[in-house]
Amino acid sequence: MREMTFTDAAREGLTEEMERDPLIFVVGEGIGARGGNFNTTVGLYERFGEWRLRDTPISERGFTGLCIGAAVLGARPVVDFMFLDFELDALGDIINQASRLSWMSNGQVKVPLVLRGGVGIAATGPHHSSSLYSFFMHLPGLHVVAPVFPADAKGLLKTALRCNDPVIFLEHKKVMKIKGNVPEGELSIPFGKANVVRPGKDLTIVGISYMVVEALNAAEALEKQGISVEVIDPRTLAPLDLETILESLSKTHRLLIVDEDFSPCGAGAEIAARVMEQGFYELDAPVRRLNGPFAPAPYSPPLEAVAVPNAQAIVRAAQMLLAE
Amino acid sequence: MAYDIRLPRLGWDMEEGAFAGWLKADGDWVDAGEMLFNVEGDKALQEMEALDSGFLRILPNCPPQGDKVAVGTLLGFLVPKEEMDGFCFPGVESLVIAASVHEEPAPVAVSEAPVATHASGNDASARVHISPYAKRLAEDLGVDWRRLAGSGLRGRIMAKDVQEATAQLKPASSATFLASPQSNARPVSIPRTAPVAPGVEYRSAMSTVRRKTAEHMSQSAHTVAPVTLTTEVDATETVRLRETLKKQDAGQGLPLPSYNDILAKICAQALMDFPTLNARLEGDEIVQFSSAHIALAVDTERGLLTPILRDVQAKSLRQVARESSGLIEKARGGQIGYDDLQGATFTITNLGMFEIDAFTPIIDLPQCAILGVGRILAKQVVVDFEKGEVALRQCATLSLTFDHRLNDGAGAARFLQRIKRYIENPFLWLVGI
Repeated sequence: MREMTFTDAAREGLTEEMERDPLIFVVGEGIGARGGNFNTTVGLYERFGEWRLRDTPISERGFTGLCIGAAVLGARPVVDFMFLDFELDALGDIINQASRLSWMSNGQVKVPLVLRGGVGIAATGPHHSSSLYSFFMHLPGLHVVAPVFPADAKGLLKTALRCNDPVIFLEHKKVMKIKGNVPEGELSIPFGKANVVRPGKDLTIVGISYMVVEALNAAEALEKQGISVEVIDPRTLAPLDLETILESLSKTHRLLIVDEDFSPCGAGAEIAARVMEQGFYELDAPVRRLNGPFAPAPYSPPLEAVAVPNAQAIVRAAQMLLAE
Repeated sequence: MAYDIRLPRLGWDMEEGAFAGWLKADGDWVDAGEMLFNVEGDKALQEMEALDSGFLRILPNCPPQGDKVAVGTLLGFLVPKEEMDGFCFPGVESLVIAASVHEEPAPVAVSEAPVATHASGNDASARVHISPYAKRLAEDLGVDWRRLAGSGLRGRIMAKDVQEATAQLKPASSATFLASPQSNARPVSIPRTAPVAPGVEYRSAMSTVRRKTAEHMSQSAHTVAPVTLTTEVDATETVRLRETLKKQDAGQGLPLPSYNDILAKICAQALMDFPTLNARLEGDEIVQFSSAHIALAVDTERGLLTPILRDVQAKSLRQVARESSGLIEKARGGQIGYDDLQGATFTITNLGMFEIDAFTPIIDLPQCAILGVGRILAKQVVVDFEKGEVALRQCATLSLTFDHRLNDGAGAARFLQRIKRYIENPFLWLVGI
């Protein structure tokens, strides 16, 4: 085991896959010699050259469309959007072509494409803080991956690069520097398998992306009050591993979903609805959600401190839920 | 106030039962203690007695005879004389009917007030709030949650309120069980044993006994870490003991102890010697018992039943013989009660009569061991190797399955060895070791 950061682990996964499969290439702004805005490709330009690390002008719709075409013809492109917010400019082709061609061709056409981008609020203001998890969860044909820990980043990115369908790979800016153990050698983590990152018996908290970290901090604090919290990291939002959540619920009978993204029609809404459908008789209290306010991300640090759920807010929400 | 009549819980793990018919008609006066209705539970048919007195009013949508019904389901009311005039059925009751294939019961004309229009003045304010999980739990445990005080927000009942209420329930408050004198209305389905015609599949619903057996066995198979030990025992002395009793008692009408009775007595003694086998796992605790309650596996036309001989260690062999013949008769006659089927600490299963020697019995959870008994067969046995002496002896094979989670091989082997020793030298359990 070695300790490395999320970004280094993901980059190691990318490097291994690029060495294994010459059809993998990366496209994006500043991902060449500069190594990516978030260091996603540092050192790869020197290693694989400009054909496989293609710097682009600011033209998301154009280069995404090119990559969808390349994927249809058998390549395995990675589009690195830097900030997920910029992916919105390319949504037309992502939704109408990438996510649907396989369905439209009865599976004869595959679109093995990885679309990656930084998400979450991290002193980044309204234009660079989108998470939009549920935008992509809503669409058939897309896998939505949101790892939190370095080993998961590497294992899930490798799975994404071998997947024959488009994958939305979302990296929260606040997890990029998180360090953790990453096993040596081959590492592959399947989609649709949640991780119980902390076992407990009084309450289940499902954290979305970085909120897993805050939930773990909250669980630590609640432990001191004699409250035992189980924390679940879904790891992939589509497919969603509801089974692990239901299994946890059958032990704790209380569920809190923490997501810094907007609450209406969000990932938490989807999880809550499905728990209601499949786990109603396990519920000893209503499912609760904790989200940020229904407003674009602020730039001001004091406002951000209030807008993003943190461990204290989670502790309060957990206490209220346990008193219901 | 009218008294609810609900489907009772007849065993600690019973979740539903087949409602097997009323013994009184709608409108009859019923005295407390009179037999009111029949229930087919997990493994037995029970006549339920009225716990209160009143006029019987059967719910218009009461489940038809033979339907599977969740424990706690409302069946009807006992209405006191003075309320009979103004009585009407309370508003919509959740009637849970599991696996029902019956057509909707025809609407029954209900006295003056039709069900739909009924709403007694303060119904809305009296609504009790309860979480779905707590409600499920209450129904599973047979707790009347409408009478509980909730500790949740705005008095909502939570799971822990139900659990606390269950802890306070005294065992005596459970209904009284009596053997049913009649066995004609039993809704059991038995798979045919006749050959199935070529090209045809014969399907039948699982009987409750079959289903319960399937659940228990698969739960055991998936939970227990079973190991089976076998050993051959020389049962000559035990056979002789029984023959002596048979001759001596001839014509006196005393019950002759069967081999199972003798084995029960022997096992009880051995269990007292090795209390780790007279135990069960509860959560992560091991519970050991001071008494040996020994279940005997009995093959009946309704399926496998395991009536229980209690406190065998404290009873004489004669007493055990008397009780076991009564129990087995009740089991075969379908009149066995729940109390006779609950709480064994050890089981004996005997396939000797089918010429079986050794087998691998499955532990009936929560017990931790089961003894399989093979046939007694005369064999030529070397009794003294040095002198080259051979003798004819009555031999049998014992198969002990034990749960390796609670006991290790050596401990279980010592236990089996002790049983072997008692069988070979029956006087030892008189003397003690």
